[in-house]
Amino acid sequence: MGEIVQYLLNGLTLGGIYALLALGLYIMWEASKAANFTHGDIYMLGAIVAVVLTERGLPLFVSVTASVAIAAVVGALIERFFVRPFNTEPHSIGWMLTTIAVGMMIESAATQTYGSLGRQLPSILAEKPIRLGGAGVYAQELLLPIAAVATMFGLQVFYRRTRLGRAMRAVAADRMAAGLMGIDSNLVALIAFALAAGIGALTGILIAPVLPALPTMGALTGLKAFGVAIVAGISSARGVVIVGLAYGVMEKFIEGYLSTGARDALGFSLVILALLAFPQGIFGRGEVKKV
Amino acid sequence: MMSPRVQLLLILAAGAIFLVVFRELGPSGYQLGLLMRTMILMIVAIGLNILIGQAGLVSLGQAAIYGLGAYVAAWLAVRHNVSFLPAIAAAILASACCGAILAYPTVRVRGAYFAVITIAFGLVFENILIEWLSVTGGSQGLIGIPRGNVFGVVLTRPIYFWVVAACLFFAFVVQYNIMHSRYGRAMRATAQSESAARALGINLAGMRTLAFVISAALAGLAGGLYAFLNLYVNYETFSFFHSVSFLLMVVLGGLGTLLGPLLGASILTYIAEALQNLREWQIFAFSVLLAAVMFVMPRGIVGSLSDLYHHTTSRARRREAEPWPNHQISVEPATLMAEHETDAALVTEGLTVRFGGLTAVDNVRLSVYAGTVHALIGPNGAGKSSLLNLISGFYQPTSGDVLFFGERVGGRQSHELARRGMARTFQNTELFGQMTVLDNVLVGFHTHYASTLTETLLRLPRFRREEFAFRERAQQLLCLVGLSDYADDEARHLPFGHQRRLEIARALALRPRLLLLDEPAAGLTHGEIEDLKRLIRLLADNEVTVILVEHHVEMVMAVSDHITVLDYGKVIAAGTVADVRDNPKVIEAYFGRGNLSLKRPDRLLPEPVEIGGAK
Repeated sequence: MGEIVQYLLNGLTLGGIYALLALGLYIMWEASKAANFTHGDIYMLGAIVAVVLTERGLPLFVSVTASVAIAAVVGALIERFFVRPFNTEPHSIGWMLTTIAVGMMIESAATQTYGSLGRQLPSILAEKPIRLGGAGVYAQELLLPIAAVATMFGLQVFYRRTRLGRAMRAVAADRMAAGLMGIDSNLVALIAFALAAGIGALTGILIAPVLPALPTMGALTGLKAFGVAIVAGISSARGVVIVGLAYGVMEKFIEGYLSTGARDALGFSLVILALLAFPQGIFGRGEVKKV
Repeated sequence: MMSPRVQLLLILAAGAIFLVVFRELGPSGYQLGLLMRTMILMIVAIGLNILIGQAGLVSLGQAAIYGLGAYVAAWLAVRHNVSFLPAIAAAILASACCGAILAYPTVRVRGAYFAVITIAFGLVFENILIEWLSVTGGSQGLIGIPRGNVFGVVLTRPIYFWVVAACLFFAFVVQYNIMHSRYGRAMRATAQSESAARALGINLAGMRTLAFVISAALAGLAGGLYAFLNLYVNYETFSFFHSVSFLLMVVLGGLGTLLGPLLGASILTYIAEALQNLREWQIFAFSVLLAAVMFVMPRGIVGSLSDLYHHTTSRARRREAEPWPNHQISVEPATLMAEHETDAALVTEGLTVRFGGLTAVDNVRLSVYAGTVHALIGPNGAGKSSLLNLISGFYQPTSGDVLFFGERVGGRQSHELARRGMARTFQNTELFGQMTVLDNVLVGFHTHYASTLTETLLRLPRFRREEFAFRERAQQLLCLVGLSDYADDEARHLPFGHQRRLEIARALALRPRLLLLDEPAAGLTHGEIEDLKRLIRLLADNEVTVILVEHHVEMVMAVSDHITVLDYGKVIAAGTVADVRDNPKVIEAYFGRGNLSLKRPDRLLPEPVEIGGAK
């Protein structure tokens, strides 16, 4: 019993990471119909910058804010210089290559400057574990799934209630029509990438007190989040959160009952099978092409 | 510009001379090994170029397919003492099968969705290599692969060099033969417009599977060669990073170009060697380079150079469209194609389609007689286009059936219908924009080729004969619609009216018994519509049955033998032009009930009005 609860709680933490990152991919996809392969590295960058700034003696709050702001700027730059110029036609693949390249640059640069040793961020929520049904977790770990769900609802309000949010939805529905109505769709995409990167960095910061921040922590996690977003149907916010949490829980159970080695082989096989069964994603909408 | 064939021979000769000179210079063992590795990577890149550059499918898992070939060959050689040739054959076979399986999802997903499947496949493969100790040797890999041995000759490195070179030449010729054949054209067609490709009888799933199998087989061949070169295999060579490198090779060289993959593979391999000195910053430098290339040359080296060449050499020649239809060109009478057992070309029985709660087409009965022009008219949203899509297999009927020359075809796929002689055009023209005007028409002949894939790859006489004959005929069809002058231009650069003409020429290449025209007059000038009317009558005179969906009432009345009027998905009137023109229901559907003081027209069509001076 205790074992199951432990896997479930750890899985929700891990799933919270996937869900938050997949939400970022969702935001970017809606605004530009392109995904961003640097997203995992932005998540890593958020954690590392916060750790480094704290180590330099800055107060935690300041270094966290600075880290999120830096990530947002990086996200905006990536959109402007590495996605927009390479996403001009419906089936462009240029953005895949350029964002993969930028992702590798970030990871490689981080390894050279930060080192390959993991370091943790201090947090009062990660000092004493809470006992829950025979399992032990830090309060910090529980923050991730909560943040994922909160972000999802926050986004919903943002998309429905604010001028900028409505502009984003208009761009998602029809870029050209939105442009004709006077919405600057390039600016909308830029803001969307900044927002997504901010959320990504925050995700890294939230997990950094529990999971030591490492330059290699982003790449595979980013790919998994991308898989999660696609399997969920990338245009459904609720879908990506549900699938993200479920994927994290599933990973922990496979780790627990089979082996760590089987985790990724089995997990990615399930991604393939899910896409075969639901080609538009589980929560995605099929597009009927009019001819 | 030389012909593609001469280009191929020149490239092959230059390659052979380079290799011979390289060997004569007495390279060191390191240089020899590096060039052999490069040639192997070129084979993978060529395969990927067929997949992405022709079929438009991006694979981010190509290194895994390459690795599968390497591991299969290594495993057979180490564990079962299988000799070189059968081990290579098994590697090719295993990879090709894997490619066929991976191609299956492309039936339903594309773009980013498909990219995720290939990424996931690559990661699963990598994990299996590490975890399945008993077969793959785990993270240590498989070591101690014996040198290859063919008919008693031991493949020492100097000999093996020529084996690898021969395989590369083979792969290169395969690439050329695919690109310059109906298969290459069909692959490019599926990548550029799925709808149009289906309407021309191309089986999308089949064509994509073919592209995948060829590309995977080449990767498998390369993998096998690599195993016998390196004499050990290890999972590190087949990671996601390597899949990205393969993609970069193809994009850097120039997607869809003949030389691109060779150039990309060699530049990348030699740069990676040069960057060795940078140690830790190697990957950083590599990715900076990748981004820089994308900025400077998004179409790759060969692509950008050939753009430049065309830009500087092509005089802005003025192209003239000729009047059409050109009566010197004969339209093949449809009666030659098949004996009609029935004079009804097309009959629909209670055809219905519902989208959610909306019944777009409601129990429609239609009889279209062979060799006539039958118009479908009705207000916007009446269900005309939906009916056309049902007939041509783009929508599946909710109920009801379609008889095409007596055969029940309701629910069949569009490409199956195209093969039975049903062609169509689209409301918003669907051309293969990045293909030449001539190639667009040639795609239309796809289903009429009798030569098989083997004959095509080996360029056997039947293939040559057919290719020559269809090229001739395609030129004639362009002449028929007056576009001969544009044959070598990309279709997307054509003015709108000419695009409509090209679409009709392409549909005629199918040699249709029934031609469906979806609003062919939309966006045409008055003069162009007059030409279109003449063409439609010319087709009907040659026994081609035409179904015409059109809003241009004056044209409909002028060319049609029969008219069916739809409103809210139902047939509200049918008959000859005269019957329909005066039918009060039709007038009401178009103009509404006249309660206002405005005078309601008492017939649908006023006398034709000539717009002053317009021609």
